[in-house]
Amino acid sequence: MSDERGAGETASLGTLGARPPFYRDATVVKWLSQVVGLVLVLLGLFFLASQAQNNLEERDIATGYDFLGTALGSDLGSGIDTNPDTSGRALWAGMVNTIRLAIAGIALATILGVLVGVGRLSRNWIVSRTSSVFVETLRNIPLLVQIILIFVVIASLPRVTTDQGPIHGWLHVSNTGVSIPRVTIGDGFYQWIIFVIAGAALGRWAMRRQERRHDLTGQQTYPWLSFAGVVLAFAAVGWFAHPALGWVGAIFDAIASGIDALTPPIVQVVISLLAIAAAVQWIRRFLASHRTPAGLTKLIDDDWFRIIFAGAGAVLVILFVTLGWPGLSSWVINSGRDLFEVIADKFGDGRTGSPIAAYRPDIEQLGNFPNYGPAGLNLIQALAAVYFGVVLYTAAFIAEVVRGGILAVPKGQSEAAQALGLRRTTMLRRVILPQAFRVILPPLGNQYLNLTKNTSLAIAIGYSDVVQVGQTVYNQTGKTLEVVSIWMLFYLACSLTISVVVNFFNVRMRIVER
Amino acid sequence: MWGSDSDSRDAKQGRDGKGKHDVSISDATVAVSDELAARDDMIVCREVDKWFGDFQALSGISATIKEQEIVVVLGPSGSGKSTWIRCINRLEVHQSGQIIVDGIELSNDLRNIEKIRSEVGMVFQQFNLFPHLTVMDNITLAPIWVRRKSRSEAEEQALALLERVGIPEQAQKFPGQLSGGQQQRVAIARALAMEPRVMLFDEPTSALDPEMIKEVLDVMEELARTGMTMMVVTHEMGFAREVADRIIFMEDGEIVEVGTPEHFFTEPEEERTKLFLSQVL
Amino acid sequence: MNQGDALPTLADKPVIERVATRPVEETYRSPAEWVRKNLFPSPFNSFLTVAFGLFVLLTVRGLLNFVFSEERGWDAVRTNLRLIFTHAYPEEQYVRVWVCVGVMVALAGLSLGLFAARGDGVPLRKISNALVAAAVAVAVGVVLREPSVLIGADGEVVRTDDAVVRQSFADAMSDRWGWWLTAAVLAVIALGLRRVPALGDGSLRTIQAFNLAAIALALPVLSAWIYPWGHYAFAEGEFIAEPGRTVAISTKLPWTVMWVLAVASLLVGRWVRSRIGEQSLSRLRIAVNLVWLAVPFVLYWVVLRDPDLDWARITQVDVPLALAFGVAGGIVLWWLTSDGIGELGRIAALALLGLAAFNWLAAFMGWYPMLQKVRISFLLLAVVALLAHNFSGETQKRRRLLAAWLAIMAVFHYFATIMNTPSTVETPTEALIGGFAVTLVVAVFTLMLSFPLGVLLALARTSRLPIFRVMATSYIEVVRGVPLITILIFFVVILPLFLPANMEISLFASATLGYTLFSAAYLAENVRGGLQSIRRGQYEASDAVGLSTSLRTTFVILPQALRASIPPLVGQVIATFKETSLLAIIGVFDILRMANSVIPAQTQFLGIKREGLLFVSLVYWVFAYTLSKWSQRLERRLGVGER
Repeated sequence: MSDERGAGETASLGTLGARPPFYRDATVVKWLSQVVGLVLVLLGLFFLASQAQNNLEERDIATGYDFLGTALGSDLGSGIDTNPDTSGRALWAGMVNTIRLAIAGIALATILGVLVGVGRLSRNWIVSRTSSVFVETLRNIPLLVQIILIFVVIASLPRVTTDQGPIHGWLHVSNTGVSIPRVTIGDGFYQWIIFVIAGAALGRWAMRRQERRHDLTGQQTYPWLSFAGVVLAFAAVGWFAHPALGWVGAIFDAIASGIDALTPPIVQVVISLLAIAAAVQWIRRFLASHRTPAGLTKLIDDDWFRIIFAGAGAVLVILFVTLGWPGLSSWVINSGRDLFEVIADKFGDGRTGSPIAAYRPDIEQLGNFPNYGPAGLNLIQALAAVYFGVVLYTAAFIAEVVRGGILAVPKGQSEAAQALGLRRTTMLRRVILPQAFRVILPPLGNQYLNLTKNTSLAIAIGYSDVVQVGQTVYNQTGKTLEVVSIWMLFYLACSLTISVVVNFFNVRMRIVER
Repeated sequence: MWGSDSDSRDAKQGRDGKGKHDVSISDATVAVSDELAARDDMIVCREVDKWFGDFQALSGISATIKEQEIVVVLGPSGSGKSTWIRCINRLEVHQSGQIIVDGIELSNDLRNIEKIRSEVGMVFQQFNLFPHLTVMDNITLAPIWVRRKSRSEAEEQALALLERVGIPEQAQKFPGQLSGGQQQRVAIARALAMEPRVMLFDEPTSALDPEMIKEVLDVMEELARTGMTMMVVTHEMGFAREVADRIIFMEDGEIVEVGTPEHFFTEPEEERTKLFLSQVL
Repeated sequence: MNQGDALPTLADKPVIERVATRPVEETYRSPAEWVRKNLFPSPFNSFLTVAFGLFVLLTVRGLLNFVFSEERGWDAVRTNLRLIFTHAYPEEQYVRVWVCVGVMVALAGLSLGLFAARGDGVPLRKISNALVAAAVAVAVGVVLREPSVLIGADGEVVRTDDAVVRQSFADAMSDRWGWWLTAAVLAVIALGLRRVPALGDGSLRTIQAFNLAAIALALPVLSAWIYPWGHYAFAEGEFIAEPGRTVAISTKLPWTVMWVLAVASLLVGRWVRSRIGEQSLSRLRIAVNLVWLAVPFVLYWVVLRDPDLDWARITQVDVPLALAFGVAGGIVLWWLTSDGIGELGRIAALALLGLAAFNWLAAFMGWYPMLQKVRISFLLLAVVALLAHNFSGETQKRRRLLAAWLAIMAVFHYFATIMNTPSTVETPTEALIGGFAVTLVVAVFTLMLSFPLGVLLALARTSRLPIFRVMATSYIEVVRGVPLITILIFFVVILPLFLPANMEISLFASATLGYTLFSAAYLAENVRGGLQSIRRGQYEASDAVGLSTSLRTTFVILPQALRASIPPLVGQVIATFKETSLLAIIGVFDILRMANSVIPAQTQFLGIKREGLLFVSLVYWVFAYTLSKWSQRLERRLGVGER
């Protein structure tokens, strides 16, 4: 370190170190304004809440989530349970409907969207024009209008007949909706899927080996082919051998009884310890990143804020577990036990049937009118309307995302690839698509999120998704606040899940890029 | 109208009034002439430390810059030169030590920060002009809203400044329509419009094409002649040799050597300085 | 800064550049060559061409058969147009609606004339090609469409067993002579345009886009006067359908006036522009923008509602109140901007803010009564006072601040008074307007209110103050994570629970509030994209010249950020416009509800839904498509012509 000093030190400098008054201190002003802002917002919320409390008391409406356990006086249109005994069960059925709709919608919308997006870039005039018209028509009409229009159009189709077409026994379309063959989980599915997972693991290993051989020797190998081969072989063997795995259920049974043996205080202690450990670990890592050879650096306000935040988070978790909601621990125990019991139930010696079952749609005649039977996958009118509505609408947006992503790859990339003499397929697979995918992924995730949220428009045509069921529930119980809170939590959870999945792939893509 | 390379030395000597400094390097003091030492302190740094995470960018920087002095800071990239002069303008916050500009300490006092910002002008490597404003609006924005001048007064002053940096005809253009050298001259005019007592230059010519470097250096030399206190981070050795009163050499966040240009370029003492000079000259 | 979600703008950027660099006019090829190159370049592509061609033909055929079928109830749409656009707005007051449309049209024409750049014009060859394509399309359509259904003497459709009886193909083709004629006329015009000789210097002849639009709009307006479109209406609840008459005078006259207004205002705008300099033009631009901001309020609250002003109350309460605030606030501001007031000024401004907050607190606790507009006035004063220090010092600047304050007070108190005055326009329904008008009103007010909120949220989310950042981030993420419908239901069903007993909120207001808070979160994300595109050097340069945070944000950061986020902001405008269709779910009589519930319930048109819904789709589509095309143009211009 150099020890040169300023030559002309003047006496006046001695008074410089004094602390300024608080209203001129940058740090104090910064934090004071924030705290004041926070307090104002909290006060506002508090007054709104207390007002709501008063109003509710005046109207003799009790708050609380007890209604989830009470009976609901009406049926649901469709879902896992069309005649639920409680409101909670009804909401759960609605959530399952929403999730199913979202997953099936995402799958079809992605396929359609990618096709249309690529189609817009096609050199074939009629293909690109048709794709453009598809996109420009669908994305400029409100989704709700489209859903209702599809609903009305389906309603104007002919009635169901005993020889329903267009392809009898395979595809039925009528004013009741659409019915197609159903492929579903069979008796021995869970045991069989263990074989498939094992096959995938082994196949991955085989694929890696092939890739390495290609890297070392330059020999032409087929890593993906060997992967598929191994998986298929395992699946084929497992198809017949799966009853041999009947004992797996016992393991899950053991885990379930192990969880059942826990007592609430133990769970509370474990959660508290975990929270403390997480906070301590976080702070330690944080401080470590600020440690220098010369000692700890001076922490700025933001750093202190983060540390306090981490600590406060841990304390809040502990308070919540022990005081805020003591029932949580027993809920954790019960649901953990139930979960493993359900899983254990999926395995077992008795399960010897085929892993996957398929059924063709049928027509049954009750009374005078024929109707779709339970065998096929029936997209009833409302479901078909909301499903095709969100799929087509989202596909139009996904098409734009895909097109934008492909166009975003600079032209020089394909020129460079061609200059290297890569074949067209190799170029697409190794050069263009990886780069395009990186651009496409984040907005694609946004579209998945939008699709999930848009399924809530089912309320307009009476399909029993979580919002529609919720509306039924609060109309009967008057618990609007509680139902809205359940909606919001549910959708936030969905959004979070999709973000996590998309981010996972996003991060992977970034690593691949390096 | 600008002094050529050959007469810039005369210009500097004329400003000093004496010509060559009598320089002696002692162990504990910065080498300055008596005449310089007698002037008021403009910037005083004492034991300034600055970390970015666990990387120490500045360690124990102590130096005093006198009124009307031209100091050039040299050093390899990553040596902390830029960080140092950015700390003087509080664009970066130093973590320990003292920085005093014109008798005002850089501290958490909002009033001091405001005062120092309006006393210290800064010119950036990337010009950082406001692209959505015309050259005229770029220059008058701060005088009108911070110095609280009237628009007509500020525009008059801006035109004079543009005249001074040699581009009065560009006043109504947008920065994107100017060449790099012109943009940097506008940036200098913008800084001068606040009538600062100190000008900081953070590698003002590094982002310029070679043919534009001279037009900017000429403006800086003219500025030096008018008695502005200047602190310049640069890689222009010619400028350092011709214009500087003192050269400060930094490496790894420390001040390695301080001296007059003659001393620095002809008989450097430290090994690190010699190594650096052998690489750049 | 959080880089979690890449912004669509960034992803789209290269697209724009590519579009911009593409040559405008492709070299001419012979039709055969074009077909070979674009339709049958390879066997696979030939297959695609055939498959897609069949698909397109079948789709078009289905659509034509639906639209032109004799069984369709288009009368339901024709008769109910007024209902669809304005719901139950009284017919004798309808001139008010036309005044609103007229003001918007005139303002739009004026703005276009003043500020829109004159394009290169549309080449005649392009117009000719379009006309040829239209002629071919009409001809193909005529052939494609199924022969018409036979109508018996009793006016009923002739049927055998379960199928309707149709004309023979030859009869159908000859029956459609009107369409053949149309195709022929289009083709003749197209060929005529081709014969217009190129200009002497070899350049193509073009028509200015505005002139083309004026001609295109003149045609339907003109046709209303001469072609017998038929007259459809409800009279005393009876449904009148008189095919073969020109449309009602109450329809064609206003549209003609609108057309004249549009063309006239456009010409006036151009004339003014040719007369004034660049400086006055930019001043005029600000003035016109301010007028645009004020127009929705004036049109809705003054023109459409025709408030029943209570002059006694106005002279005794409203005017004195406004004057008091203007004068007292002016004195405070004058003092706050005096020289050397220093920190005292800021503390005083904060105290004013506290007072404003306390008034709201008192409102909730019911401590003392106070007019709502007094509370808001206090809040406005506090906000202006917080910014006042930027105007201190020079007298001229202090005067300007004072003038701005007086203007704010005048405008605010004017509108507050108007809004609190009951309407004189009597409608049979609770709401003043419905149909498409309510869609537009909600969309416009939502955007106007959510824009400032969104900008504030974006600033908070990117700010260096962690608590504000956390608050803004959680708000934005929560709102973006849940569907709009849950938020709307929240505001419509639950909001009344949160209000004190003496406060009431209309369905319209609570829905707009819900839309505003929802849309603000999305706007904030768009603006954040713009903020993140600003380089650090801009902040540093602003700090280095001594700008305070508020000055830096106002003069340096926001202008650049907003410009960078214009394309996604327009996208948000389109999204909000489409989202207004959800009004139908929460019980507002908007355009969708008209088509889906109101019209099918009329005894004359029982159960007729598809026609109305298709019409609604068309209305939405025209608006949204126009906006999106405009935004693409804007994007291209911003992408290329960065000045």
